[in-house]
Amino acid sequence: MNTGQRTTKRLASKAGSSICRSCREAISRNTTSSYTTAAVASATEDQTPSHIPHNPPVPATAPQASYAVNAGVVLSRPPILTRDLHPFESAFFLYQRRLNERLALPFTRYFYFKKKTPADVEWKRKIKQRLTPARDIGRYKGYGAEAWNDELLVGTQESEVQWQVERLLEDAEQPGVEREGENGNGSGAPGATGKKVTHEPVERPMPRVTEADLKGDVKSLDRLLQRTLYLLVKNKEGQWAFPQDRLVGKESLHQAAERILVHSGGINMNTWVVGNVPIGHHQHQYLSESLKSSMNSNELGFKTFFMKARIMAGQANLKENKLGLADFKWLAKEEVHDAVERKYWHSIKNMLAER
Amino acid sequence: MALRELPYRAASVIYRDVRPAVSSIRPSCRRSASTDTVLDLQSSSSLSVPPLSEDIAKGYDPVARSKARKGKLPPSRYQFRSPRYYRGPLHPHQPPPVSDPSSRLFQPGPFSLPRLEQTYQTTIAPDLFVLRYQHFPPGYRAPVKDERLREWTGESPYFKNRPLRPPRGSSHLRLLTPPPTFRNIPEITRVTVHSMVPDAQENSAHLHVAGMVVQAISNVRVTSHKARHNVVAWGLREGKHVSVTASIEREDTFHFLSKLIDVVLPRIKEWKGVSGTSGDSSGNISFGLTPDVVSLFPEIEVNYDMYPPKMIPGCHITIHTSASNDRDARLLLQSIGIPFHGKLVN
Repeated sequence: MNTGQRTTKRLASKAGSSICRSCREAISRNTTSSYTTAAVASATEDQTPSHIPHNPPVPATAPQASYAVNAGVVLSRPPILTRDLHPFESAFFLYQRRLNERLALPFTRYFYFKKKTPADVEWKRKIKQRLTPARDIGRYKGYGAEAWNDELLVGTQESEVQWQVERLLEDAEQPGVEREGENGNGSGAPGATGKKVTHEPVERPMPRVTEADLKGDVKSLDRLLQRTLYLLVKNKEGQWAFPQDRLVGKESLHQAAERILVHSGGINMNTWVVGNVPIGHHQHQYLSESLKSSMNSNELGFKTFFMKARIMAGQANLKENKLGLADFKWLAKEEVHDAVERKYWHSIKNMLAER
Repeated sequence: MALRELPYRAASVIYRDVRPAVSSIRPSCRRSASTDTVLDLQSSSSLSVPPLSEDIAKGYDPVARSKARKGKLPPSRYQFRSPRYYRGPLHPHQPPPVSDPSSRLFQPGPFSLPRLEQTYQTTIAPDLFVLRYQHFPPGYRAPVKDERLREWTGESPYFKNRPLRPPRGSSHLRLLTPPPTFRNIPEITRVTVHSMVPDAQENSAHLHVAGMVVQAISNVRVTSHKARHNVVAWGLREGKHVSVTASIEREDTFHFLSKLIDVVLPRIKEWKGVSGTSGDSSGNISFGLTPDVVSLFPEIEVNYDMYPPKMIPGCHITIHTSASNDRDARLLLQSIGIPFHGKLVN
């Protein structure tokens, strides 16, 4: 068994660098298992898989035509915000929340608020105003003669997301109605009306559309917060593509990806190369005219293997790049489609996320 | 009769594969009885119909309509009660499906699309797929493995029809991990919050408080459990209620975890993280929270005074994932932001 393994490994290694390491291991594992079965059953050679070279390769007299191996980096910024809901989704969620108001047990105030505490008083005041325990679903009447009329009509303001957000903020802010209520109680002494309760203004949510979106600034990482953005660079030939470079020496794809990121975007990027395996590849064929004029006529083109990487912080800076890049952009999937060449797009489209 | 149909049947069986599964409707001079129907069906799709005109939508007042109505509607139009008991498939009064709001088993929801779930779908799952990817070259055949449970081999007559030998090295069989594909990326299936309060045997108030605390932080009704055995060392007496659990599923899972990860865990002082040895070696990882950490949950903090002093319990949290080993489960939990410390045991 041991000898068999050794021979297959040697055979596979002699086959040259055209087989990757994991393939070679898998092949040697396969042949090992088949050798053992062959030894046990003393079967014919038909059992060994046909694709494994049994004859040691004949040393070639002339250098073979081949492809150069490049490493590419698909550097992406994942979505930062949740996506906008489809109108049907938001309508469905609101419907379910209102339904829940009908089906849930009534709110147990006696458990959550001690009597005559400020929280209790506040709760009573608020429930008197909005008449429904939930804050953002509008008025919901589950009881009484008209309890059947509990569905929102088409085009009501309660179904707008902005209105719901406003109600939540309003509830958190405790607007001026509080003072009216205190006056209405009649217990307000002249001193009591004098002191005005001022609450801290509640921080408004940031807008979902940023300045970069409005300006159309494709170099900013603050654009399209709901989408995945990809770094595209303009190479020497003036084409837009992912940053890529030839593998140097014995470096792995992972190491090459890290090197390319530094050589192209500079050191001011906090990045993480995901895993050790490529997520896609692109094959480029040189034109026959340029082949004749080039020094290495055996090189038919190059194959680029793309590694996945994520940017955590920082920004690309092409000032000191060593790959001769002219420009960069952060683009979403559709924009990548418009920027790159048609053939390139066909090899990269399936590794880009829809959102 | 059947014999006469036979040639036609045979032909249709042969041509079934040749025909396209969905026939596209192309304009042809041949008209059949169903042509108009099909066209009608297509034109009346709810997606292609324009929305209701504003005048009709604004002018619609259901209350006024019901008041203007002379007689009453027949009760069957607005009153339906699901039968209390299921009386079999042949009974005329059948319960509606569970998704129907009139069903007795209906539970409303989902109410939102949680942020953590969206992050999982857009970012975490694709990255996990790349990280776990295993390359099988074309022509690869998985090596044949031995039977996991061995048989009894030997001359002894007692070996005949004897149950298989137990697995090597342990008393139970471990889960098999299937080769990673895009279909079995590990995901969070549910979370169990468990709180044990032995003091509840003397004073049941402890159990009530624990139930309300767990219910408040998990948004799920709790179940209480009795001690099954007498354990003198732990002061347990058989048959006494000692613990409560809440099993959090679906949408609530993501809300609970994001509260835990973004609000509670960062505020613990000198917390090293979840122990790396935690896990049941089949993809479920658990850790404990002390009482003062439980009181950091926003739901508890907002009315902390309402809970009797020193009665807020600690709890154990088990995160169930669809991974079949702890390594993958830990990778998933690390990616959603739960830190681990110490030696990682898989």
